[in-house]
Formats: sequence, structure tokens, C-alpha cells
Amino acid sequence: MADLLPYLIGGLANGALYGLLALGFVLVFRATSVVNFAIGEFLLVGAYLTYTFALLLPLPLAILAALPLAFLFGVLVERGFVRPLLGRNVVAVIMATVGLAAALDGGVQLLWGPDLKYLPGSLPDLGFEAGGVYVSSRAVWNLLLALPLGLGLLWLLRKSRYGILVRAISEREVAALALGIPTARILAGVWGLSALLATLAGALLAVASGVGYNLVFFGLKVFPVAILGGLDAVGGALVAGFLLGVLEALSQRYLEAYLPGFTEALPFVVVLLVLLVRPYGLFGERQIERV
Amino acid sequence: MLSVENLKVVYRGVILALDGVSLEVGEGEAVALLGPNGAGKSSLVRAIAGLLPKFEGRVLDGRVRLFGQEATHLDPVGISRLGLTAILEGRPLFRYLTPVENLMAAGHRLPPKALKEGMEEVFARFPRLYERRHEQAGYLSGGEQQMLLLGMALLTRPRLLVVDEPSLGLAPKLVEEVMQTLAALRREKGLSLLLVEQNARAALGVVDRVYVLERGRVVFEGSAKEATEDQDVMEFYLGKEEVGFRQARRYRRRKRWV
Repeated sequence: MADLLPYLIGGLANGALYGLLALGFVLVFRATSVVNFAIGEFLLVGAYLTYTFALLLPLPLAILAALPLAFLFGVLVERGFVRPLLGRNVVAVIMATVGLAAALDGGVQLLWGPDLKYLPGSLPDLGFEAGGVYVSSRAVWNLLLALPLGLGLLWLLRKSRYGILVRAISEREVAALALGIPTARILAGVWGLSALLATLAGALLAVASGVGYNLVFFGLKVFPVAILGGLDAVGGALVAGFLLGVLEALSQRYLEAYLPGFTEALPFVVVLLVLLVRPYGLFGERQIERV
Repeated sequence: MLSVENLKVVYRGVILALDGVSLEVGEGEAVALLGPNGAGKSSLVRAIAGLLPKFEGRVLDGRVRLFGQEATHLDPVGISRLGLTAILEGRPLFRYLTPVENLMAAGHRLPPKALKEGMEEVFARFPRLYERRHEQAGYLSGGEQQMLLLGMALLTRPRLLVVDEPSLGLAPKLVEEVMQTLAALRREKGLSLLLVEQNARAALGVVDRVYVLERGRVVFEGSAKEATEDQDVMEFYLGKEEVGFRQARRYRRRKRWV
């Protein structure tokens, strides 16, 4: 049992990042019905932004500096790729994000080169030992940033005026417009927020394992996480992130010996099984219908 | 206050919904826009509210002036700022939000204190809403939803309120209640009102003037009294019995040369 705990902690640390990334992804999906296939690239760009700032600034400051820039990047993506296609079939926007993903993949390698880079400097060491179990600094940082941020955002979405407007727009944009709600500005903010969350996840990932093109594959995990939580359930994204993180860790510990490589497939298998029982995902909302 | 001049609206570039409509709503006036299904009533509402692009439509010709300002191609946010609020057809409230949240969304421009007072005023006017203020609005009854919509419209602080088919799907008693509420709001708030209806009998009780729209054109224009006295309008909309066969024809024969 004791040898299990480190795995669980590692799983939670990963899960926190899955949760952050999926939170931004689901937020955009809920507000605009756009499946953002470039979410992995958001994370990639964010990680490289952090890396660039880290060359000039101490790492904590570099992360802080990258966040507003990431927000701006999200807003620009909305202006450049999403807004012009508004009113068209939503598939058009989704395909545009696929194109954007490819362009960003190339652009990032062009700009920063294809080799794996390590961040100079590191975050203050918060690792500690409790009852013979070592909790890594990475896990502490991930949880410390992801949990309050995720829960805070959830609270904002439920209770704040801004959150209510986001939910109103996501349900009926035309009705919101008729009330004079500036939907365009608010939706741009949602994209910005999504990019910011992805960047934070990217930065934390970069701190742990360096910056390279392979970060995109971490971004791919957002799909099983978001679908598992329910595509329209923002809180579900956070929970599903932790859940998959832990499941992956367990699979690493117990199944990897018998089924090498199975851990990679595990998230998708879990999603498949859950969708069989709950087609809206674990926390997906049921639709109100008048009959 | 609102003046529409020779407005032509097309959808998808080919479907002509409004074919030169002119209409006026004066300060403090209540005007009804009547007409059968597909006459272009809702298109006019969308055009006035700046929402045509959301429905793949656009203004081909003519113009809309609001409170003395050019508003033909203004966006919905700008139009709302000028003081026009349109309640579109089909109960456009947020079904997954509670009545409280719906009102908060509608009152997005108000400072917190004014919003709170405004909500209290709405709940005082519609006590049923207060009882159900924390349930999802999608589960309210049709009448309650209509009341909520009126409350939401109030919180946008309009000077001119456009209401598209508030009577749709409501029992006659509730229709009467909605109409009375509209009349009361107009009296108390000094609102101007453009009431778009198929239910002419209900609408005629609360308005000063009437326009009748058919196939994208205004075919009758006059005071509410004139409308009730006009045989064509009466027989077509209020179903006077005496006319028999003539019911089948369009109610105003246009002079034709061919």
C-alpha cells in the first residue's frame, strides 16, 4: 500500500494539469459550441512563452508575465479565426481550429527550433516528506495552483455577474444580444481565459519536463478528460482531470507490467466505458425539453 | 421615436421578407403590428433590433431611425444602449438559469444597487416569480415565463419596448393578464410600445394605432378605433361571422391593371 501513495500523488499532480487544460477547453465549448482542436497548441505556445520570459526573468515572474500575453493570444485567436466565421456552420470554426493547430505546430518549431529546451531556474522547492511518503515539489505546485484557480473559476461562473452572462450567452446568444449583452467581448474573454489556463498548464509542465514539441501530446489528453466530465460541464472537467490522472498512475503501477503501453490508451478506454452508461459524460447537463 | 422608412429585408440574398415597410411609433405611443403568419412581422422586429445578421438576413433598402438617430445598420448592443429592447418571439429567456439569474443577465448594464432595486420591483410586480426565483426558468409555466421576460425587459431600462407575440401559446386569461401588464408598464414607466401580434382582439385593447402587415407590405394603417370599424380588418382578424364566402379572400383587394 505504501508504495502506491507516490503513484497516487504523481497522478494527482498530472490530473491537476489535465483539469486546468480541460477547464479552458470546456469553457470555450460551452460558451461557443466550438471544439478547439488547437488546445494542445495553446499549451505549447504557452510553454514556449514561459520559456522565453524565463530567459530574462526569474521563473515565477516569467510565468506571471506569460499569462496576460497568453490571454491576449486567446483573444486574437477569437478575433482572427472564430469571429469571422460566426454565423456559419460551427463545423467551419472547428475546421479552422484544426488548421490553426497545424499552423501553430509549424510556427512554434520555426520560431524556437525543434529541440527540447529546459527552463533556466526553477520554482521554489515545496516538496516535503510526511509519514515516510515524499511529496514532490511538482505535485505541490500543481495542486496549489490548479485547485484554487479551478474552484475559483467555477465559483465565478456560478455566482458572479460575468459568469451568469457567460452562461446566458452559451445558452442563447440571440436572446443575449437582444438584451444588449456585449456577447462578442465576453466570448473573446472566454477564449483568452482558455488560453491562459492552457498556458499555466504548459508552464507547469515545462518546469517539470522541459519544453518541446511533445507537449502537444499532453494536450491531446484534454479530449478524453473533457468528454469524460461531460463536454458542457465545467466542474466535471476538473474532476475528470484528477480522475484520469489517478487512473493513469494506477495503471502505471499495476497494469504496465502485464500490458506494456496500456496506460497511453487507458483514458480512451475509460471514456468509452463511461459513455456507454452515461452518454452526456459524468457531469453533463440534461437538456430541458418542453413536450 | 421609432421611424421605419421603406424598409426592405432579404434572407440569404433571395427571400424577400419585407417589401418597403414604413412605420412610426411616437413618444409614449402604443402601436400594434398585426398580420398573419409569414407576413414579415418578426423580420421587422429583427431589423429594428439589429439582429438580422444572426438570421442570415440583411436590410436591402430603406432605413430605421431610433430616437432621432440613424440605426439601420447599428449592432444590437448599440441599439439596446439607445433605449430599445425587443422581446423576440418564442420566449427567449435562459432556460438553464434561474429567474434571479435571468434578471441579473438582463440588468447587466445596471450598477449593483440599481440592479437589486430593479429585481425587487420585478418580484413585487410578479409574486409568482419570487416564489420560484431559484428554480430553472425552463420549468416555469408559459405565463410565468412571459412575466419573467417582461421583468427582464424592464431591467434593460427601455424607452421603447418591442414585444413579438407575447400571447403565443397562452390561455386567454393569461393573454389578458399579459396585455394588462403591458398597458400598466406603459402608463407607469412612460414606455412606448410596439406590440407585434397575431391575436388582434387582445392587442387592440391596449394600443392607440394599428398597422396590418401582409406579405411584407403594410396594407392597413389607422387608429385602433378605425381598425375595429374597418370591415376587412375585422372579418380577417376577429372572425366576424356574417361574411361567409368572402373569408377566403385576402382582405383588401389591390387595384390591378392587368
